[in-house]
Amino acid sequence: MADTLIDATTPRQARPDARAPELSWRESTTGYLFLAPWLIGFFGLTLGPALVSLYLSFTDYDLLSNPRWVGAANYVRIATSDPKFSAAMRVTFLYVALAVPLKLAFALLVAMMLNRGLRGLPLYRAIFYLPSLIGASVAVSVLWRQLFAGDGLLNQALKLVGIHGPSWISNPDTALYTLVALSVWQFGSPMIIFLAGLRQIPKDVYEAAEIDGASRNQQFWRITLPLLTPVVFFNVVVQTIDAFKAFTPAFIISGGTGGPIDSTLFYTLYLYQEAFAYFRMGYASALAWVLVVIIAAFTALSFLSSRYWVHYDG
Amino acid sequence: MSGFALSRRSLIGAGIGSAALAGLGDLPAVARELRLRMFWWGAKERAERTDKVNQLYLSSHPDMTIAGESLGWTDYWARLATQTAGRNAADVLQMDYRYIFEYARRGALLPLDSYVPKALNLTDFSPAAVDSGKVDGKIYGVSLGLNSTAMVYDKALIQSLGLKEPIWNMTWSEIGDLAAEITKAAKRDGFTGMEDGGSNEPVLEVWLTQRGKSLYTGEGKVGYDEKDMTEWFAFWSELRKRGASAAPDTQALDRGEIDSNLLSLGKVAMAFAHSNQLVGFQAINKSKLGLSTFPDGGKGAKPGQYLKPAMMWSVSAQSKQAEAAVQLVSYFVADTEAGKLLGVERGVPPSSAVRNLLTPTLDDLGRAMVDYISLISDKVGSLPPPPPRGAGEIQSVLRRVNEQVGFGRLTPADGARQFVADASAVLARG
Repeated sequence: MADTLIDATTPRQARPDARAPELSWRESTTGYLFLAPWLIGFFGLTLGPALVSLYLSFTDYDLLSNPRWVGAANYVRIATSDPKFSAAMRVTFLYVALAVPLKLAFALLVAMMLNRGLRGLPLYRAIFYLPSLIGASVAVSVLWRQLFAGDGLLNQALKLVGIHGPSWISNPDTALYTLVALSVWQFGSPMIIFLAGLRQIPKDVYEAAEIDGASRNQQFWRITLPLLTPVVFFNVVVQTIDAFKAFTPAFIISGGTGGPIDSTLFYTLYLYQEAFAYFRMGYASALAWVLVVIIAAFTALSFLSSRYWVHYDG
Repeated sequence: MSGFALSRRSLIGAGIGSAALAGLGDLPAVARELRLRMFWWGAKERAERTDKVNQLYLSSHPDMTIAGESLGWTDYWARLATQTAGRNAADVLQMDYRYIFEYARRGALLPLDSYVPKALNLTDFSPAAVDSGKVDGKIYGVSLGLNSTAMVYDKALIQSLGLKEPIWNMTWSEIGDLAAEITKAAKRDGFTGMEDGGSNEPVLEVWLTQRGKSLYTGEGKVGYDEKDMTEWFAFWSELRKRGASAAPDTQALDRGEIDSNLLSLGKVAMAFAHSNQLVGFQAINKSKLGLSTFPDGGKGAKPGQYLKPAMMWSVSAQSKQAEAAVQLVSYFVADTEAGKLLGVERGVPPSSAVRNLLTPTLDDLGRAMVDYISLISDKVGSLPPPPPRGAGEIQSVLRRVNEQVGFGRLTPADGARQFVADASAVLARG
C-alpha cells in the first residue's frame, strides 16, 4: 500500500508503448482508487437508481404502498391510450424543432461577429456567455414571467409604438414561443464552441477565395460552414439532448401546470406531474425510459446522418 | 519518501478516524438530547408563528431540539410522499383532509387514541372537532383549526367605489352582477370584479352540493353529469363576456397559491379561497380585505359549504419518539400560550379554552375570521366523502377544460362532455 502511494505521488516517465494489460493489479487498483469518487457516484447515484426506475416502470407504485407488478401495461398505455402523452410530445417536438436551430443560428451569428478581431473580445465573450450560466435558473424564469406578462416590460415597450400586446406567457397561442425565446437567449455555450471552431479555419483559405473573387456570402456557404460542420454537429447533438430535457423554464412559468391548455406541457413536466403531483411513480418511470429511447434515437440519427454532411478534413 | 507516504496514510487514517468520531459524537448527544422533526406546508407567516411556539416549548424542555421545515402546498406533498417511502418522514406532520385517509390506511400515520388524555389533551375539543381527525374510527389527526371555503374581497376598494360589499345570502347571479358593477366602476385596464372561478375545484364543489350533487360519490365516481357541467361552464363564460370575471389570459397567471392569486396581483376585487387564508392574503395585500361566503344557491338549495379542519397535526408511524411527538402536538392545540402565538393563522382553534382566551385579544383580521366561522356554523352541510385515489388530478382537468372554453376552443356543452369524460377516466385509473 505504501508503495502504491509512492507511485501515485511520484511523477512517472511517460511510456508511449504502455498497453493496458501490462499494468499490474497494483497499478490498476491505484487507477480505480483515483476513479472511486466518480465510480461510486456513477453506480450509487446514476446506474442504481436507473435500474430501479427500469424495474418500477413495470409496476404500479404510489410511494405509500409496495410496487405492484403490472407487466408492460404502462408502456401499452403510453403507446395506445394516453392523450396527454401525445400532447406533451407535440409540445416537446415543436420546442426542439424551433429552439435548437434558432439558438444555433443565433450563436453562430454572434460568434462570427466576435471573430472579426474585436477589441475587448474577452469582455464581450463573458457578457454573451452570462445568460447561459444563469439561464436555467429559477430567478431567470421568474424574470421571464415579468417580461412577457400582460403588463410586462415587452408590452409596455410595444405600447409606446401603439401596439396592445397580449399576455404572452398566459396565452396558449404564444406561451411556448416565450420559452423558445428564453432558450435562444442562452446561446452562450454553443457560441463559445463556434468561436473556437471559427478560429481553427486557416486564414489563407479565405485569402485564396478572395483572390478568386468569391463574395462574402459565397465564402460563408463554401468555406466557413463546411469547415465548421464538425462543430455544428457537436452543437446539434448537445443542444438537441438539452432541449428534450428542458424542464425548469416551463415548470416555473406555468407554475407546474404546463398551461394554459397544456401549451407548455414539456415531456419532462408531464413526467414530473405524473410522479410528484399524482404519485404514479411506475407510469412516470415508464415515461422516463421512453424519453431515453427517443433521445438515443435522435442522437443515433444525428450520427448516422453526419457522414453525409460533416467534413472532417481541412 | 516512504516515510512521507506513511505520514500521508496516517493522515488519511486520522482523517477517516476523526470523521467517524464526529459521526459517533452524535450518539451520546442523541441519547441525551431528543431531536424532533416537524414538517408543514405554508408561507413565511406560518413558519414564523410555528417557530415561536417551538421556541417556547423548548424553553421548558431544555433536553430537546425541534427541527422545523416547511414548503409550499404542491412541493410539500411530493416531499412527504418521497420521505415516507424512504422511511425518513418527520415525526410531526401537517395533514390535510384530502390525504389523511390515504396515509392512515396505508399505515403511514400513528393512531393516537392510546395517548388520550395523558399525552394528548383534547378535553376542550368538541366531539365533532375530535372526529374530524378520525379515519375508520381511530384518531390519526388533531385539528389545528376550523375553516371553510370563503370569498376574500378587497373591502377598501369596494367601499371606495360606493358599492355594496358581498354578503352571505347573495346568489350566484347577484355576485356576478356585483362583479360586473365593480369592473365598470373601477375603470382599470385589465381589472375585473371577480376572478374566474370556473377552474376552481372548491368553488365547483360548493355549487354542485347546493344542487344536491357532489364532486365524488361515496364509491369514488363522479357525482355530476354533463348537464350540470354545461351550466357551470356557461355561467362563467357569460361572466367573462360581461367583463365581470377575469379574462382567460389573466386568469392563467394564477398558479394556485396566495402569492399568484389575482387578488394579490391587483387584478380582481373578489377571489375564492379558504377562511384561514385571510391572514396570508392580508399579509401581502396593501388594501384592507374582508371575508364573505361563497355565493348562495338561492331558494330551496342545499347548504354548499362545510366546516372542516383547515389542517391537522399527525404523527408519523415511523417516529421513534412518538410519545414526545404527541406531547408536542398536544402543546400546539391545548396550551393557551401556544394558542396566542398561533392565533387564527391555521384556522379558528378547535379548543374552546384557547378560543375563549383568544377572542378578546384578536385583531380585526382574527375577529373577522372567528365571526365568519360563527356566521356560517348554522348554514353548512356535513363533510363530503373523502376524495378517492387519483382525485388530485381532477383540479388540473377542470383548469384545462375551463381554459379551453375561456379561450374559445370549446363551447360550454363540448367542455362539459370532455370534462365528465376526462374526470371519469382519471378516477377509473386511480
